[in-house]
Amino acid sequence: MISIQKGEDLITITLQNILSYRKDDEDFIKLVLNWNKTVLIEVDGFYPVEVIFDRNEIKFKTKNFDKKINLKVKMDINTFLDLAFGRLNPIKAFLKRKLKIKGLLKIVTVLKFMKIFLKTMKMVANDPNNNYFELNKETR
Amino acid sequence: MTETKERNVYEKISKEDVFKKLVEIFGEKYVTNKSGDLYQYSYDMTECKPHMPDFIVIPEKTSQLIELVKFCNSNLIPIVPYISGNNVGGLTIPENGGILVDFGKKMNKILHIDNNMMYALLEPGVTFGQLKNYLDKNYPHLRYSYPYAPPYAGVVGNVILSGMNNLSCKIGSMGDSINGLEVITAGGEIVRIGSCFYGKNEASPDSWWSRYPMPDLMGLFINWQGMTGLVTKCAVQLWPNLPIKQTHIAVVFRLTDVASVMREVGRTDVIDDISAVSIEVVKMAVEIPEPKKFPDEPYFAVMFSISAKTENQFNARMEILSNEIEILNKQGKKVILINADEYVKLFNLRLRCYLDLPSVVLPLVEYSGLTWFGSYAPSHKLEELIEKVYKLFNKHNITPFIYMKMMKSSHYAIFRPIMRYNKFKEGEEKRYHKLLDEIVDVSVDLGCIPYKTPAWMTEKMRKKINPGWINLFEKIKKCMDPNSIFNPGRWNT
Repeated sequence: MISIQKGEDLITITLQNILSYRKDDEDFIKLVLNWNKTVLIEVDGFYPVEVIFDRNEIKFKTKNFDKKINLKVKMDINTFLDLAFGRLNPIKAFLKRKLKIKGLLKIVTVLKFMKIFLKTMKMVANDPNNNYFELNKETR
Repeated sequence: MTETKERNVYEKISKEDVFKKLVEIFGEKYVTNKSGDLYQYSYDMTECKPHMPDFIVIPEKTSQLIELVKFCNSNLIPIVPYISGNNVGGLTIPENGGILVDFGKKMNKILHIDNNMMYALLEPGVTFGQLKNYLDKNYPHLRYSYPYAPPYAGVVGNVILSGMNNLSCKIGSMGDSINGLEVITAGGEIVRIGSCFYGKNEASPDSWWSRYPMPDLMGLFINWQGMTGLVTKCAVQLWPNLPIKQTHIAVVFRLTDVASVMREVGRTDVIDDISAVSIEVVKMAVEIPEPKKFPDEPYFAVMFSISAKTENQFNARMEILSNEIEILNKQGKKVILINADEYVKLFNLRLRCYLDLPSVVLPLVEYSGLTWFGSYAPSHKLEELIEKVYKLFNKHNITPFIYMKMMKSSHYAIFRPIMRYNKFKEGEEKRYHKLLDEIVDVSVDLGCIPYKTPAWMTEKMRKKINPGWINLFEKIKKCMDPNSIFNPGRWNT
């Protein structure tokens, strides 16, 4: 079971929404559980958010970032959407400098981040979600 | 508990005799004077003081209402029109008691859709959800314009009170797109206004196609809050339902920049609807209990609805929009344009409640209290308005829910601060009303004109309005309703 902190600002609400999509998916749990890494995601024009993978928890910070960040990722909002909706692949985005990654030498970390984040983002984008009014029916 | 004021309404006739007459007109099943039934009609979500009606009637046909109006006029009994109870501003609270006419239950038929001349002829009880559903099923090539209102809100009430809609940047207020009205005046006479005025008794269903060029008597009924007659039919314009539709959001990072973003994009004349909401409103939709703006977050999200018949037309419109945003950025504004339909999927689908209208914004109505200052605003004063009203929200430590619209290619704007609150928590209503009161003062000073206006607000406005206007207004009211039976108390009449 993975616990994901509730977002309260625009970027963390988005990250929480994306990551929550797979929180009961076994492959996702295997990837995330005990990963114990920190990733700083910055969307141009907005502000950076630190995503902390800590044992079975995913937490967010928008200030007082940890000194040791394992990976830094930067892109603009439209690259973010292009990646999610499959109009751009991460390698092309990186080569075109649309996706900037610091910590690229830690190839295992980068690949795992791609599997956790980019794959999930694509899954959310591709879900028709036609019944979205009903999604949280049980909570009402 | 709703209080019942002492009134002299039944001097000419006893309540018992009124009840008997109402049963005679509407049938026993469709008349009530039981307090349990009356209570739900005695209040709305706002701070406006509740008051019980004396009777509720559920009409089915115009002939019943003609009889009712004649009866009330000769016995000086107030008549209050009611559709679905979603109004804010106390507009259907029967301040002086009397008979409340609930149109929503049985006078709710879509009488005619004119496919050629693109209009719908409606009874007063038709709701937005009902009309949308009907058009989507039977006339998918036509659409109506929908407001930020729940699907169970009434169309005609909103139209004759000049509500706004999701085509407002193109067509302006809902009041502008009325083709015709059928109204019962104080003497019990049926009046048909618009091109439907031909025909001594009945108008042909295909004759409700225009409001002009005869003298425009529509003004005697629009925005009068039911004070001049009882509307029984209304024809509203429909629009081509274009196959390509998208919404884009511009997030704006400096407080007052949102005004020029809305204004300049409105002038490009390629957008169906421009609505801006403060970032707290965005977060409210995703059920953050006490939404706050974080320091580096944008202040506002501006939603642009774009529709087109072909890809080429759509791309041209998008190009114009993107160019305008680029110009604004070059001028030093910080604005980021995002495809809303895509982003909302990643952000939280609940945000679609602002895109798929009509819809219920659940977190807005889940509180026991909801109030607002809804106004038509001079668009060149928006910067000042936003700044001053934002400060007032902060002064009272209340979350700034601000909603705005650009109307008719930026000819004017809508400025609407909204507040939800706990009505039954000690001191809360007073605290929120104090803020609202200060917002009204600031906004009216800057030229805003409230719509769907509660009586306490019109009292303030009367002090500022040209006396000639007030005299003419009073004369017309007296002429149209000499015994003050139609929704008395509105506009402090």
